[in-house]
Amino acid sequence: MSKEISRKTWANPWSYREGSIVTAAILLLGFALQAAGGGIVLRVAAFPWNLIAGLIFLALLISAFMLWQKHPVIKWLGGIKAALPAILGFTFLVLLMGFVKQDVEPKSTLVRTLGLTHLVKTWPFILINLYLMILLGVVTLRRLTPFNFKNAGFFLNHFGLFLVLFSTALGNSDMQQVTLNCYENENEHNGLEASGKPTELPFEIKLLNFNIDEFRPQVTLIDNQSGQIVEQKGKGQYEMLDRNAIDLYNYHLEVEQFLETSGKVGEAYVTSNEPGSAPSAKVKVTSKNDGTVTSGWIYSGSYVNHPEALKLSDQYSLVMLPAEPRKFSSELSIQTNTGKQVTTTIEVNQPFHIDGWSVYQLSYNTEMGRWSNLSVLELVRDPWLPVVYFGIFLMMGGAAFLFITGKPKNGGNEHVA
Amino acid sequence: MWLDYPIYASVAILCWLAASGIFLSSGKKMLNQLAAGLSFVGTAFLLVFMLILWLRIQRPPMRTLGETRLWYAIFMSGIGLISYLRWKFKWLVSYSLGLAMVFLIINLQHPETYDKTLMPALQSPWFIPHVIVYIFAYAMLGASSLVAFRNLFFAPTDKIVKGPIQMADNLVYLGFSFLTLGLLFGALWAKEAWGHYWTWDPKETWAFITWMFYLVYIHYRFRHPSEHKRAMGVLAVAFVVLLICWFGVNYLPSAQNSVHVYSE
Repeated sequence: MSKEISRKTWANPWSYREGSIVTAAILLLGFALQAAGGGIVLRVAAFPWNLIAGLIFLALLISAFMLWQKHPVIKWLGGIKAALPAILGFTFLVLLMGFVKQDVEPKSTLVRTLGLTHLVKTWPFILINLYLMILLGVVTLRRLTPFNFKNAGFFLNHFGLFLVLFSTALGNSDMQQVTLNCYENENEHNGLEASGKPTELPFEIKLLNFNIDEFRPQVTLIDNQSGQIVEQKGKGQYEMLDRNAIDLYNYHLEVEQFLETSGKVGEAYVTSNEPGSAPSAKVKVTSKNDGTVTSGWIYSGSYVNHPEALKLSDQYSLVMLPAEPRKFSSELSIQTNTGKQVTTTIEVNQPFHIDGWSVYQLSYNTEMGRWSNLSVLELVRDPWLPVVYFGIFLMMGGAAFLFITGKPKNGGNEHVA
Repeated sequence: MWLDYPIYASVAILCWLAASGIFLSSGKKMLNQLAAGLSFVGTAFLLVFMLILWLRIQRPPMRTLGETRLWYAIFMSGIGLISYLRWKFKWLVSYSLGLAMVFLIINLQHPETYDKTLMPALQSPWFIPHVIVYIFAYAMLGASSLVAFRNLFFAPTDKIVKGPIQMADNLVYLGFSFLTLGLLFGALWAKEAWGHYWTWDPKETWAFITWMFYLVYIHYRFRHPSEHKRAMGVLAVAFVVLLICWFGVNYLPSAQNSVHVYSE
C-alpha cells in the first residue's frame, strides 16, 4: 500500500487512482458534450454505417492489442484496476436512471440539459459503454492468447457481455418498432412509430377475428355509504364465481344461475349476444350473523349497460367486478409484398414471425372488453437479434460455469470464470 | 386457502424457533441432529402448503409479493440447513431461519386475498423458471449478506472471518449465477411477450444495479483476497440494493406503471 501512495499518478503501473480519474473524466466529458448539444437525443447511425463503425472498432481494438499487448497501459486496461471504477461509473448512471423517471418530459432545465430523463440516449451513457467494451475486449483478448480451456468460463462471461453490449449499441438504430391498430375485416398497411410517424410496412394485415377468453368474474362487498370495497384483516376480499357455494366474510353465497353474456329483460337477466352483454348471476345470500336471506341478480355491467349490485343490509351490498381477461388473441390474414399469404392466430406471449418481422398481440379496446372490434398489434424488426441472443447464450454458459466451478482457487490461476 | 396459512406458518415457526434454540445453546451432536430435523420439518410444512395453494388457485403462486415472500422463506430455510450440513456453521442456520421467520410473520400481518386471475403477459413457460431462479438467487445472496453483517459487526479482526468468508464467496458465486440466469431468462421472455428484451423498466434497472453490485464484490474479492472488511461492506450494501429491487421499487416514483410492480 505504501508503494502505491508514493507512486506518482500516471507513472506505470497504473492503479485504481488512474482508473477513477479516467472513468470520472469520461462521465464529465459525456455530460459536458450533452450540455453543449443542448440535451439532444442521440442515435447511432443506421445500417450500413453502424456495421462499418463496429468493424472499425473491432479492427482497432484487435490491432492495438496485437501491437502493444506488453505495454503496461494495455495490461492495465485488461485488469480489475481499470474495470472496477468503470463498473462503478456505469452503476452510477444506472442508479440515476433508477431514481429519475425515464422517457418523460424533463421537469427542469438541468434535467433536460444533462439528458437525465433519457439517459440511455446520452453521451455519458454511450461513452461509458464504449469504455466498458474496450475493457471487456482487451481482457477477453488477454485471456484468449494463448488459449487455454481453463479460461472457458471467463471467456463466456466476458465475451458474452461484450457481444451483448456491442450488438445492442449498434443494433438499436436498425430496430423498427411500430404499433398497428387493426379493426375487424379492415386491411392495415401503415404502422405508427412511437413518435407518431406513420411507417409503411412490407405487408398488409387484416384482422379476421378478435377473441377474448375471460376469467369468471369476482364478487366483493362494498360499503353502501362510502361505495368502497370492504376490507377486513385476515379475510379474503374477493371471491371468484367459479363454484356454486362461496363464503365471503360473514355471508354464504349460493349461485343459482350464472350467465356469461347477458342483458336485462324486465327484472331478470337473460343470455344475450348483443354487443355490451356482460356476465350476471342470480345468487342467494345468507347472513351468518342473523340468518337473513337475500336473493337477487348481480351484474358486472359494461360500456353499454349499468352494473347491478345486490343490497344485503343497510351497511353492505354485493357487487360483481368486471371479468378479467385470461387470454386474448387475434386471427390475422397477412399478405406480404413478396406475394406470400398466411393466416395465423397470435396471442400474448405467442408472436408470429414473418420476413424478419415479429407480430405481437399488444392490446385491444379495454373499455369494450370482450366486444372490442379493435386489436392493437406491435410489429418489431430487429436484424441484430441473433447476435444479441448469441451473447446472451454465452453468458448463460458463463453463469453455468460460475455455478459449477465457484470461486477460483490458487489465486485465480485455475478455472477463472 | 390462505385462510389456513396461519396454521402452517405457526407450525413452521415453532419448529424453527425450537431448532434455532437448540442450535444456539447446545454443543451435543445428537441435539444438533434433532435441530436439523426440526428445521427440515418446518420447511417441509411450508412446501406442502405451497403445493396445496398451487393446486387450489390453478396458477403458479408467484404473482403477489406475499407469494414471493413465502418462496423466499422456503428457500432461505433450506439453504440455511444445507449450508449447515455442508459447513457446520450453526449460527448461519439460526440466522437464516430467523430471516425466514420474519418473512412468514410479514405474511401473517398482510394476509393475501387468493386471487386466481393471472394476466396474459404472465402466462408463459418462462414465468416459473424466471421467478424461482430469482427467488433462489435472492435467498443465496441473503444468506451471504448474513455472513457479511456478522463479520462487519461481530467479528473484530480479520483473522476470525477466514472460514465464513469462504462460505460467503461460495454463496455469492451460486447466487450470482442464478441472478444472471434470472436476468437473462427475463430478457428472453420479454422479447417473446412484447418485442424487446430490455426496456429499462424500473424493475429491470434495479435488477441490473443489483447485478452490478455483486459484480463489484466478485471482482474485488478476486483481486484483493485479504481485504475482508471492505469486501464484506460491499456485500452488505449489495443486499440493501437487492431489497430495494425486490420491495422498494413498488414505492419509487420512477416506477409508476412498471409491468413488474407486484399486486398486493
